[in-house]
Amino acid sequence: MSDPTNNWIVLMAVVPVVMGLLCVPLVNHHVACRIISQASFLTTFIVAVVLLSQLDTWGNDSSGGGGTSGGVMVSQMGDWAAPYGITLVFDSLSGLMLAAASLVAFCTTLHAVGSLPVRTERRYFHPLVNFLMLGVNLSFLTGDLFNLFVAFEIMLMASYGLLVIGGGKAQLRQAYKYVLMNLLASSIFVIAAGMAYGMLGTLNMADLARITTELAAKDELPVGFTALGLLFLFVFTLKAGVFPLWFWLPDTYPTLPISIAALFGGILTKVGLYATARTFSLVFLAGSAAEILVPVIAVGAALTMFVAVLGALAYTSVRRVLSMMLLVGVGYSLFGIVVMSDGSLQGAAFYMAQSMVVMAGLLLCCGLVERKTGTDDVGGMGALLQQPKLIGLGVMIFVGLLSVVGLPPTSGFYGKLLIIREGLTEQFWLVGAVALLVGGLTLLAALRLWGTTFWGPPEVSQATAGSDESDESKRAPITEWAGATLLVFASLAIGFVAEPVMSTAARAGQQLADRGAYVDAVLHNPRYAVETKVDKTQKDTGYAGKAQEAHH
Amino acid sequence: MTFVLAVCVAVCFGVSVYLLLGRELKGVAMGVFLIGHAANLSILAMSGSPVPETDEAHGQTAGALLKEAPLSSYNTPSPALDTMVDPLPQALILTAIVIGFAVMGFLLTLLVITARSTGTLELSELAKDAGDPPPTPDRDAAGLTPAGGGA
Repeated sequence: MSDPTNNWIVLMAVVPVVMGLLCVPLVNHHVACRIISQASFLTTFIVAVVLLSQLDTWGNDSSGGGGTSGGVMVSQMGDWAAPYGITLVFDSLSGLMLAAASLVAFCTTLHAVGSLPVRTERRYFHPLVNFLMLGVNLSFLTGDLFNLFVAFEIMLMASYGLLVIGGGKAQLRQAYKYVLMNLLASSIFVIAAGMAYGMLGTLNMADLARITTELAAKDELPVGFTALGLLFLFVFTLKAGVFPLWFWLPDTYPTLPISIAALFGGILTKVGLYATARTFSLVFLAGSAAEILVPVIAVGAALTMFVAVLGALAYTSVRRVLSMMLLVGVGYSLFGIVVMSDGSLQGAAFYMAQSMVVMAGLLLCCGLVERKTGTDDVGGMGALLQQPKLIGLGVMIFVGLLSVVGLPPTSGFYGKLLIIREGLTEQFWLVGAVALLVGGLTLLAALRLWGTTFWGPPEVSQATAGSDESDESKRAPITEWAGATLLVFASLAIGFVAEPVMSTAARAGQQLADRGAYVDAVLHNPRYAVETKVDKTQKDTGYAGKAQEAHH
Repeated sequence: MTFVLAVCVAVCFGVSVYLLLGRELKGVAMGVFLIGHAANLSILAMSGSPVPETDEAHGQTAGALLKEAPLSSYNTPSPALDTMVDPLPQALILTAIVIGFAVMGFLLTLLVITARSTGTLELSELAKDAGDPPPTPDRDAAGLTPAGGGA
């Protein structure tokens, strides 16, 4: 096995923090801020893609050729060996999520430049988005449970800031729900992290995976290990928006300025899903814990899909319908995660990445429609296709909705196909059946949305209102169009050129299903082989070895 | 000692859950802060007893001999394993306290702004107002898309 260390992955966290700090003194020069944050997200996107392209040969090119660490890049902070230092890990799943998140951040910021008033933008919009992306990127990279908590907190603090930016009254009325729920989840996260340390003596995810595998093999998992898993499940699924814990989401997101809603809707739920996929595949489904946790997650996934699609059918506000469709996607991804086979995890990884891009794109398109019609209620729209300027927008929304539904040429198809195909097993057939049913209902919801807004009878009041004089305010700036179009085209590209994304997702699925590579790359890094040997021989005086031993 | 901590944690949790179930946002905020403290205390309890276990086993006066700090200076070796406090949970708590402090500041500010803007902190009042989404004048003037708050 060759050295899997690649310290370049730190760039993903360093670039947003440096750029964000750079924006703080320049906050009144909004043009400079725009350039800086665009550059920041573009850089992280390029770095993620470049690292992903190097990933399949990474660690396999050595003469030793053990090669079990293939496809995983590791960086140990401060060069401290694995269980003691903070670990950052970049594997296929992280890479896929990082690339998609950076792309979404780039496009939503581009949209925000046009849609947010400069006054709002100067209220630290750009630093906050950069810090949000720092938290998001760090959550995707980190290999340490407590560090994951810190990353979540960074992300949440920035999101609280963005939540109240501009400070509309409706925004403030709903903000407390989001803030209080997330504060509660954070407290429980701290407790759960403390308990994990108390039970297992480490917080490094690879080390936790190693210890729980060993204990599960001997059937000696500590008492309360399942409860610990449930605590983490509560925290992560609350962030992801899984059924009983989602109530804050459809209330909060529609009140935000649309570009921020797209940023949140695209990225934040996926961070919760990613954390679930990562920690539960590595640690919390070990041994007998799976008997209780797997049914809980599976039922949660089925309920999320089903209730969300009913919501999508019932709401008349475009934003709320889209929020509900976002939650349908959360249900599908969670289903793929809980089936825990190579193929289903591949599907989940693919679906999470494409859903990020598609949902953000759709929300941005929704913003463009709102600008034209002045409302986000489907009752206030109708026959928008008759307006020649809106045909392009109609096509974009149509393509986006098809991706959400998952019809073949678009990108949603592959993820759903894999998830449902793998999910129709003896254990999960019921959830699989629900997923199929929900697929049909999603199509219905999408047709209803598109049909009433773009096809249906023209809205009468619109004709009487005339409102030609306010044409100036209805013309969307070019950047708004650019952001939305870029995302829709990206989602199309994922569909038509699915091969590279699909193979990356396939590797992500394998790595999640078989945790050997991850654990080996972090714990058995040859770079630190000498030091660990010294630790073992000098156990009596080596402090680090003892602190570890103390909890076994 | 762990028992005392456990009682403290239980009381903190009980009070904070009571506060969280209230209908007034100030009380709910206090509940959130208290649950943070309960979390920190429970991590402290996780780090084990501050009294070396050997002492308790031998029936010596508990509390007379506490575990030592996990430090080693130039000449003195670090304390032996079973008489040393585990430093990591305390580092975790320190981090959590700092984060909690920042969040507390933010939440209180948010409540002040919410109270000024909507004139109330009662949950029922806030929910009642949410039905009609009149955009504030400055948002309108700014050309921002109207918020769709129709529940």
